Amino acid sequence: MSSTRHSPASSALRRFAWVLCCAGVLSWWIAGVAAPDFDRMQRLAVERYGQRAGETVTAWRALLAEAAETDERTRLERVNTFFNRRIAFDDDIVVWGEQDYWATPLETMGKGAGDCEDFSIAKYMSLLQLGVPAERLRMIYVRARIGGPQSTISQAHMVVGYYATPDAEPLILDNLIGEIRPASRRGDLFPVFSFNSEGLWVGGASTSSADPTTRLSRWRDVLERMRAEGLR
Amino acid sequence: MSLIKQLWIAIALVMSLAFGGSLVVSTLSARHYLTQQLTVKNLDNATSLALSLSQLDKDPVEVELQIAAQFDAGHYRLIRLVDPSGQVIAERVNNGPAGGAPEWFIRLVPIAPQAGVAQVQDGWNRFGTLTLESHSRYVYESLWSGMLMLLAWFVAGGALTGLAGTLLIKHITRPLGRVVEQAEAIGGRRFVTTEEPNTAEFRSVVRAMNLLSERVRGMLAEESQRIEQLRRQHQHDELTGLLTRNQFLNQLDTALARDDEQAGGVLAIARLGDLERLNRQLGRPQADRLLQDVALCFDAAVGEHEGWESGRLNGTDFALLACGAQDAGAICRDLRARLDALLDGTAVEPAPRLPMGAAAFTQGEARTHLLARVDGALASAEQTGERALCLADADHEAPRHADLADWRRTLLHALDTHGVQLGEYPVIGSGGELLHHEAPMRLHLDGGWQGAGYFMPWAARLGLLARLDIAVLHAALRKIGETGRALGINVSADSLRDAAFRSELFASLQAHPAQAGHLWIEVPEYGVLRHQAEFRALCLALKPLGCRVGIEHAGRQFSRIGDLHDLGLDYLKVDTSMVRGIDTDTGNQNVLRGLCVVAHAIGLTVIGEGVSNEAEARTLIGLGVDGLTGPGIRGA
Repeated sequence: MSSTRHSPASSALRRFAWVLCCAGVLSWWIAGVAAPDFDRMQRLAVERYGQRAGETVTAWRALLAEAAETDERTRLERVNTFFNRRIAFDDDIVVWGEQDYWATPLETMGKGAGDCEDFSIAKYMSLLQLGVPAERLRMIYVRARIGGPQSTISQAHMVVGYYATPDAEPLILDNLIGEIRPASRRGDLFPVFSFNSEGLWVGGASTSSADPTTRLSRWRDVLERMRAEGLR
Repeated sequence: MSLIKQLWIAIALVMSLAFGGSLVVSTLSARHYLTQQLTVKNLDNATSLALSLSQLDKDPVEVELQIAAQFDAGHYRLIRLVDPSGQVIAERVNNGPAGGAPEWFIRLVPIAPQAGVAQVQDGWNRFGTLTLESHSRYVYESLWSGMLMLLAWFVAGGALTGLAGTLLIKHITRPLGRVVEQAEAIGGRRFVTTEEPNTAEFRSVVRAMNLLSERVRGMLAEESQRIEQLRRQHQHDELTGLLTRNQFLNQLDTALARDDEQAGGVLAIARLGDLERLNRQLGRPQADRLLQDVALCFDAAVGEHEGWESGRLNGTDFALLACGAQDAGAICRDLRARLDALLDGTAVEPAPRLPMGAAAFTQGEARTHLLARVDGALASAEQTGERALCLADADHEAPRHADLADWRRTLLHALDTHGVQLGEYPVIGSGGELLHHEAPMRLHLDGGWQGAGYFMPWAARLGLLARLDIAVLHAALRKIGETGRALGINVSADSLRDAAFRSELFASLQAHPAQAGHLWIEVPEYGVLRHQAEFRALCLALKPLGCRVGIEHAGRQFSRIGDLHDLGLDYLKVDTSMVRGIDTDTGNQNVLRGLCVVAHAIGLTVIGEGVSNEAEARTLIGLGVDGLTGPGIRGA
């Protein structure tokens, strides 16, 4: 594909364009520094949400540090348990005053509350931080049947799926129940669509935060906000 | 480099900077925008295709069909579905060239949108990863066409700006051209004034130059007026305003030496008798009145004739000098009639006696001889009657040619057969260096080379002067070409008015630019005064051709020198009548000294004509005269 070739002239042109736009240079430079900035997250949590939030982030950091020593299965358990216990489930309209708001892990920890997306995002990001490859993780839209096997009531829900191998049955990290179960034991959930940050955002990689189109996609938007908060 | 060129370069530079800069910026920003849009399209299309594939039964044919349908109906370069182990399930690729824009443009402005990636789910299981890239052809197409359009706009804008710039520059520099013209004119000693332009800077320059010109003009007018006054006081009789004896005799000498078309002429003297009785009968004031009236008659006889003079030789003797006149009888009868009418009107009894004698003279006759002849005629007239008129016998032999037709034949024959020959009389500067040679014309007539005085009066009457002047011009140019020495030639008043002569003059000088630089062209003072417009046009036209233009025989109308300030004249030859006896004539010395000051102020070289001896030469140089010529001057 010819568009991927880079001639010296084109890089010179590009550089010229950057020079014209100092802000562009600045953001490019910031984005280029790629490592999670937990201190920054800690500071922001205290500043924005108070001491309690700070403590939660401290606990979260301790969890990440401890879990890093364990195997993947244990990491899943620790992360799942951490968020299911620490974060209270509540609707976005209550927590954020919006119909549907995708919160970053920092925001979720700060508020100490969130809905299914917020749980899933926090777990997904934590696992990525613990070194679980993005290709083994999926955010999965599911239809959840509520109120027992015979119930006809269902609602939109989101969970995190973990695929130990490409063909394996996924393990489901859910906030409706405390434990992690394989998909086959979750008869109440019906998968609809899955996505992850592959090809969009990989921990440590950089995309231009100057790209205004990211704000139009909730997923890309939340990824971008995380990055701004120090989670890279 | 001229101002106009610099302005043009500045405009071109600013234009190309502005247009080139905005072209680059707009192309880059368009590229950025298009890349963003393409990335979003990739992501969205990948997600929606993955979503619909996730809902599908995963029948291989159906999956393949779904992807093919999306690919074929859309604008994609690549759609690929890879299973979790890395095996390709389905792939559609369009590797056709990007097209839509020249290769160099694609290389110069590459577009690299992000590919869209989405996950396809089969129930709880992973089915595969979908990668989607849109084709960039239409992006390049729109980028290229956008750039072409911008370029077209810029070219059109550039042309428009250039046009406007040209008009603006023309508008700005129109007054500048006039300013430069005026500055050059002043540099060339032509003190002209021009209209003040609207541009403030030019206006102050022009105002300053106009002021300079006005001052020079005012100074010249004042000075020349003063010199004229001085000359009149010195050269004219206080009571009657006629020339004094001295000056009249100087004029007579000049007239006798003349060898142009006014060579030869008539001298008449009238003597008022019984002045003492008139004083007694009429009283002094009335007698003076009568003398003034007689002088007026002489003035009237002179009238508009160029080269004619009247003078009061002593208390009772009045003289008329008619240069170039042929018919002594007619002139004298006319004057006689005027005087008789005056005498008839006086209240004195018996009427005053006023006899008159006259003689025709030719070029070269001695002054004493001529005066003796006229005195003889006057004596006869006194014997004959109170209002008698006696003409002295013609002294010279019978006319050389019977009539005008004969003269015409003879002159033309001489011109065609022998051409003209040029004399050579040196004109030297005050340091003794040679300025140029005066080159009067000679024609081969009646068996020998004759000077101009021999035939010029006849040529003038026949209207042949322009033809002769052209012959002289050609001969002079030829001679300058041969010897490389400067020559001065005369242009007669008649030639000045002759359009054919003028165009021939310009054409010849343009054809010989090297020789033109050594040519001094002089026009007699009365020709200049009579045909001012033509002379002015001639000066302005000759100036760029490199030759020098001057006035000869100057000395009668100094008050008009002020009018010469804007002609760019080079020199002034002062008439013999002013030069003769200058070493003893303090009055003329004063006049000449003033003339030199004024002439030098406007850059004129002053040359004295007819210098006959060392004393005159020394005095002239002492007065500030720059050059000398005449029988007393030998070449360096």
